[in-house]
Amino acid sequence: MWPDRRLLDLFKTEFPIVQSPMAGAMDHELVIAAAQGGALGSLPCAMIPVEKAREQFNIIRQRISAPINMNFSCQKVVEADPARMAEWKLRLAPFYRELGLDPAAPVAVTDRAPFNAAMCELVEEVKPEVVSFHYGLPDQALVKRVKAAGAIVMSSATIVREAIWLEQNGADVIIAQGAEAGGHRGMFLTEDIAAQPGTFALVPQVVDAVKVPVIAAGGIADGRGIAAAFALGAAGVQIGTAYLRCPESKIIAPARQALAQASDDSTVITNVMTGRPARGVANRMMREAGPVSVDAPDFPHAATSLGPLKAAAEKLGRVDFTNLWAGQGLRMGREMPAAELTRALAGAALARLRALTG
Amino acid sequence: MTISTPLTTLLGITHPILSAPMDVIAGARLTQAVSAAGGFGILGGGYGDKAWLEQETVKLRSASVPFGIGFITWSLAKRPELLDIALTVRPRAIMLSFGDPKPFASKIKSAGARLICQVQDEGMARQALDAGADMLVAQGSEAGGHGASRTTIDIVPAIVDLAAGKVPVAAAGGIGDGRGLAAMIMLGASGVLLGTRFYASLECEGADEAKKRICAATSGSSVRSIIFDLSRNNVWPAPFNGRCLINDHARRWIGREVELMQNVSAVAAEYAAARAAGNFDIAAVIAGEAVGLIHDVPPAAEIVERIVTEADQILGGRRNSSAAARA
Repeated sequence: MWPDRRLLDLFKTEFPIVQSPMAGAMDHELVIAAAQGGALGSLPCAMIPVEKAREQFNIIRQRISAPINMNFSCQKVVEADPARMAEWKLRLAPFYRELGLDPAAPVAVTDRAPFNAAMCELVEEVKPEVVSFHYGLPDQALVKRVKAAGAIVMSSATIVREAIWLEQNGADVIIAQGAEAGGHRGMFLTEDIAAQPGTFALVPQVVDAVKVPVIAAGGIADGRGIAAAFALGAAGVQIGTAYLRCPESKIIAPARQALAQASDDSTVITNVMTGRPARGVANRMMREAGPVSVDAPDFPHAATSLGPLKAAAEKLGRVDFTNLWAGQGLRMGREMPAAELTRALAGAALARLRALTG
Repeated sequence: MTISTPLTTLLGITHPILSAPMDVIAGARLTQAVSAAGGFGILGGGYGDKAWLEQETVKLRSASVPFGIGFITWSLAKRPELLDIALTVRPRAIMLSFGDPKPFASKIKSAGARLICQVQDEGMARQALDAGADMLVAQGSEAGGHGASRTTIDIVPAIVDLAAGKVPVAAAGGIGDGRGLAAMIMLGASGVLLGTRFYASLECEGADEAKKRICAATSGSSVRSIIFDLSRNNVWPAPFNGRCLINDHARRWIGREVELMQNVSAVAAEYAAARAAGNFDIAAVIAGEAVGLIHDVPPAAEIVERIVTEADQILGGRRNSSAAARA
């Protein structure tokens, strides 16, 4: 028995487990598999055009009847500063030359638009059961439209102040994202990476501060961690890293290998890959230009000049410039189909809860 | 109500709750209060102030409850005679943190005391087990004061697995209430060690102003850094740094460590004066990420009771959690 059934009632999933939306590392296949296993499958839409999101969503709807979460980002748009971009490019020039690339050649701009009217129309059209946001929430008018379309709204908080803000601004569920989490920190009212609390310190503090259900995220990748999150007052967990090595994830072979070989302390928080702080396995770019640099252009412009380097290095089978986003639970990741993994995680958590509670 | 674990059996105590040996502020008063409430108080021998240690251990000589005494291992190595002073009052355990415990292990164990070793990674855990540790404390980076980078959720299960079938493990770092104790039992720990929560207790010798700041602090208001160590000319070995509340001094110097080192004599003088005056805009309030869970300064016994009651509710009144090892 789950000690807290609020999310099961709200989402109507079999388990209170959310498969984390991992933009760039997955598509509809992982959503389908995780949902078939009983989790809330989440489709990352932050890095794909609306047409692509519609296509993937419709495939999922055709294949399964389970609820679906569509995930978007809602960062404030910051125009690229040409001077900083040029300086950063200069810094990367030796890498370009090493890979036989022309640093002066024009580069395609990274497609990372925040949630907008067109995406909102898609939500209204396809009606996902849940919509989750990263970096706060979009404008109130858009939040209202998403809710009117019948979706439950979720977003992440990295400190208590953000959780209170999210609740006041319409979030139905809050994801408490601790420092252990892989990928981009959801922070939007603070920029202090060093002060981001760990998941298990953050979760009970958020639970005390808000009335809505709280999902624990960051470093949770096995039954013990799930059971512990419930003891802290969480109503569910969001799990990403554990799914990375599933056959349904879309990470390239060398990245898969780098994750399999990573040791306990191989993840770091960096801003040089995209301009926003994110946790991942240290690659050459992070080691040689960061992991944190005040010179990195604002999000998402830092990623733009990395595009050609990433593509050229990957052709050589190298992940020197590839995002290897992963959390501190990295070592617990397993190579098994996502549905099976979901059931194994839930089963282990339930066994733990049964063994340790009256 | 009690929560029995291999740790309570090992130390002969009622509740699996240990108070951290916070340097100089965890005096005999706090140690006895925690132990009298059924937990396990550990005197904060810290860096090793001989006069303070003698004064506080004398008060523990007649204690009718089991207690521990803690030291910073690398600092104790410079003044090993302090261990003899500690052992004369027959502590139930000596807790060593930050450094190789081996040189002290046989003396501690032959005096009849248990050896508790606090560790921050698997390598340190193996070193402690090799030295004959009877119990480990797995400390996550959420902890106040000195520590390392891996968080509680990461390090606790890793150390529990490594110590499985050998010794019990207590969890430390970011734990402030009964939910934390229950969660750590879920992770496989046999108990918890709390610093910040007991800092904000009546019996702790810390300054009232520091306790007030702990009660007022919220999430995201502490940070790990080396600036407070630099500011008091207190050089720690890698990989350790210290978590403190973010104050004016932290905002001024974090990210400018090299400049601080270049001006260290002026900064150190200013810092020493601030410490003496109890000016916590400059002096450190050493506290962990549990600060956001702490809003009052009750007697230590009440803290122990609240934690046990809350954890017991979550664990459904189960009397024996040794099933943790089998789950």
